[in-house]
Formats: sequence, structure tokens, C-alpha cells
Amino acid sequence: MATILETARNAGGFSTLLTAVEVAGLTAALEGPGPFTVLAPVDAAFAALPPGTVATLVANPPQLARILKYHVIAGAHRRQELVGQAEWPSLEGAAVAIRRSDPFEVKNATVIHADLICDNGIVHVIDRVILPG
Amino acid sequence: MTPPISAPAAEAATQSRIPPSQHRWAEVIHRLEAGGSMLPDTPENLMQIIGIYKAYAVPMDFYWRDLLYIAERVFLNPLPAFKYFISQQYLDLPNSYSGDQSELRIWRGGEKAHPELLEFMAKGETRAMPKLFHHLWHDRVNMEFAEACMQAMLWHQGMGGRFNDYLASDAYRANADRAIKAYFRGNPLMLGLYKLFPEMFMEQVKQMSYYANLGLFWEVMAPVFFEMSDIYDEGGFKGVPDAMNFLVNGIFAVAGRPIYHHVYVGDECIEVIPKSEGFTWLYEAALPYVEAVFYRTSPFRGTKSYNAQADQVPSDQADFHYGILYADVFPVGSAGIPPTLLMQDMLHFLPPYLQELYRQHKRGEADQLIQLGITFQRSMYNVTSAVIQALRAALFYPLDDPDPEHLMANRRFFEAQMDRFLRPEARLGAIQSQEYR
Repeated sequence: MATILETARNAGGFSTLLTAVEVAGLTAALEGPGPFTVLAPVDAAFAALPPGTVATLVANPPQLARILKYHVIAGAHRRQELVGQAEWPSLEGAAVAIRRSDPFEVKNATVIHADLICDNGIVHVIDRVILPG
Repeated sequence: MTPPISAPAAEAATQSRIPPSQHRWAEVIHRLEAGGSMLPDTPENLMQIIGIYKAYAVPMDFYWRDLLYIAERVFLNPLPAFKYFISQQYLDLPNSYSGDQSELRIWRGGEKAHPELLEFMAKGETRAMPKLFHHLWHDRVNMEFAEACMQAMLWHQGMGGRFNDYLASDAYRANADRAIKAYFRGNPLMLGLYKLFPEMFMEQVKQMSYYANLGLFWEVMAPVFFEMSDIYDEGGFKGVPDAMNFLVNGIFAVAGRPIYHHVYVGDECIEVIPKSEGFTWLYEAALPYVEAVFYRTSPFRGTKSYNAQADQVPSDQADFHYGILYADVFPVGSAGIPPTLLMQDMLHFLPPYLQELYRQHKRGEADQLIQLGITFQRSMYNVTSAVIQALRAALFYPLDDPDPEHLMANRRFFEAQMDRFLRPEARLGAIQSQEYR
């Protein structure tokens, strides 16, 4: 098996996320033992944000890290487990709401590929960047 | 008057998927669902709001610079008589969002203080004289307005974001302690007072952090409004929704800007709130600002008396409704109170087309301050619409989402926002008509 980041790299379509993780200095943490549940937005999700949004965040790693941490939940949770609870605390601090179980929706994003099992956690691929609030 | 709907097709699409709203402001909600603003899309509304954004941006260019000057340099000066005498360094401070040096250029203009601002600072309404005389004659930018906004944020606190929580943390107190000791180095009297009354000093530093917060917030808004004015002058906005969408895109583009507080003692920089805390423009500045200043603020001195024992003032701060979205601009137009100070500031920089408009209506030049105050109210309903649409985009779903459940989630969000305008003081109804001046 591969780590969370290796899985994303091998799957393709996550180049913005992988760059962001590196710029934010979260690579080592996400390569660590974890385990983590990562809600991984695809490249199109970042591209859908208005112009300048990603550039401002990339220029400010601590702020970028905060938004990325909102996509990470401590522990390895499969879809079955996630839908059993209305919301989960993110590493950012704010809660991530589970809005629907079928189709599986996390906050205002739809999970397009659930339960990618990795060495150090689980990845759920989402179609939008989610934001606290 | 029934306002024209900006995008009938989009509204029809939403309407065909979910039933019409039964909310009292259903008409406005349907307009928001069609990508519009709370402010009706009319050519005059567009002209009014853009004109006032321009008139607001010039004094705002002073506000943000002086707020940062006070937060970073004046800091805890116990006799800050000259805090409005901004240094040349801060007048020249390059705006992060205009000028050639900016990484994210919002305004095409220069990075230093706006030429119209500098001209006004030199001459005022009277004539060129030393700035001390301008100050004492009160012929100057009314910085007291900016401070009133800062105080509203400080006083209401805890309106989302992590800023206020951080001000209570040990890390912040340690940083503030370093700043206080550095600032009063070699001043045994002030250091002695600090030992006796540490909390009083801490509270002052917290207030300074709010100065920095608001300064960094407005540093963004000034170039945004200048650029909107330039785009309008070129004929670039087709209607009110275009102007709103420009703001929505701006909100996203700078959302991740760090909010921090640095204090300079000589050449030494003390990071009272370091950028590494991860505080952002959107969460720690913009949203609390809108809540504190547009909605809540507090009853101003000099307008009317309230009897708190008779429940004329809400017991819950969250129910305060003294902001511009609720203001009865006419009595607010009394001397010396914060909104009037702003109106007076904007009066100096009105574009000719707004001066002409005010001459044609009501009492002409005699009540320009009231007319521009109501224009300002319209313009802030549009800014609030942009915030609501930005939050909808960030936390909910696209307006053309094919899933009815998603559209219903948007609907519930819009309705919850409109609930805040159910109280009788709200001016949402008034701004639907062009006759409200």
C-alpha cells in the first residue's frame, strides 16, 4: 500500500492539492503515521475558485495550511462510519458537516470517490474545496 | 415600484425546480437566487453606488494608513495627541493591492496615498495652512469614524473567526508583554504603572490589535472601490449585479490575506500577532467587520436617548441593530456622530455626476449629506449582498445547481439572511424604491 500523498500522486488529478500541501509545509505530517481521513479536492475544484483565491493562499503558507487542515480529520474513517455522525472535527478546529449519505456529501462537496485505503489513512475524493463556516 | 429582475431566465430555472419562497422578502430572495443583489438593478442605483464607493475610497485610503500607523507606531503613547498626524512613511506605504509592486493588483492606480486625499489634506475646505491648524479647526479627514468602527469590532468581539479567542491566549499575552516592555523601555513611570495595572495595558494592546485588523481590512477595500469607479467610468459595468460580482470575486481573491499585528519600536519589530497564526482577511476581519459595523454597532451619542431598563436596547448584543443597514439617516445626520463624520468625509470627494444628482432632488445642496447617506446605505446593501453571495458560493451551492435539494439549501441560507431584515428598522424595503432619498 501507499501513503495518502503517494496515493494522490499515483491517482493523478491532484496536482494543485499536492503542490498546496508542499507549500503549506504539511508534507511531513501527511507522510507520518497518522492515521488521517483526507477529503481531497480534485484539480477542477481548485480551478473553480475565483481568480486569485489560490494564488493569495499559496503566497501565505500559514493561511493555506489552515484551509488544507479543514480537509483533514484525525483517524481513519470510511464512508460508512462518517455518515453515522452529523459532523466531524477537522484538524483546522471547525467541524466538517456530513450533509447527505446518498449521494455522499461532505459540507457542500460531493464525494466522487470514497474509501481509498492508504497506509496512513483514508482518502475521499471531493469535487469542491470546502471552507470553514 | 417593482424592480426589474436581472436574470429572469436563471430565476425561472430555480423557480421551476423549487416552489417560490413564502418569506416576507421573497421578491429579494428570488432576485438573489437569480444572481442579483438586494439592491434593485437600475441604472441610477448603479450610478449611486459606484459614485459613493469612489467618495468612500478616498478617505478610506487615509483610514487604513492611519489605523496601521496608530497600531504599529503610536501604539501605547499615553498622550496620543498627534495620532492623526500620519507620518510620510505611512502615506507612502505601498498598498498591497495597487501599484506596480503589488502581487495581486486590484486597482490600476498607484500604491501611495491617493492624489485627491493629499490635495484635501493640504487644503481642506478652507485653505492651505499648517496641519495643526487644520486639525484644530477640524478641517480634515474624520479619523474618529474609523476609530468608531474599530471600537464596534472590539466591543462586539466573538463574531466568528479566531481573532478574539487569540487575544485571550497565553501566546498573545506573552507577545503583548514583550511589546509593552519594549515600547516603554527606559520609562520607569510607565513600566511601574504596567506592574500595577497589567490588565489595563493588555486591554489597550488588544484595542491596538483591532486597529491593525481594521487597517488591513480597509487596505483591500480602498483599491477595490477605486477600481470599480474606474471600470464604471469606462462603461464597464452593465448593472448592479456586475458591481456585486466584482466584489464577490474580490472577497475570494483576498480571502487568504494574513491578518496580523506588528509593533515597531525604533527598528525593532515585535510580532504581537504573527502572520504564522494563520488568521485570514475573510474570517478574522471581513466577516466580523460586516457583522459589527453593518449590522450591530451601538446607539450613537447625540442622536436619541435609549432607556435600557425599558428594553429599548436589546439585552443580547447579537440583536443590536444600529448599523448602516438599519439607520434612519435623517436624525443620524447630526454633528459629531460617527456616521455623519463619514458623510462629511465622503462629501469632499463626490464625483460630479453624484453632485448633479443630489442637486436635482429633495432640497438640493442643502441636504446633500442626507442624500449621500442614503446612497451610502444603498451601496452597503450591495456590499452586504456580495458578502451573502460569497458565503453562499463558499458554503453552499452554485445558483444553477441542478439538484433541487441544493437549491433548497441555498434558499434556506438566503431566507436566514433575510430574517435579519424583518425588524421594522431595516431599510431593505425602503431601498427597493428610487424615491427613497
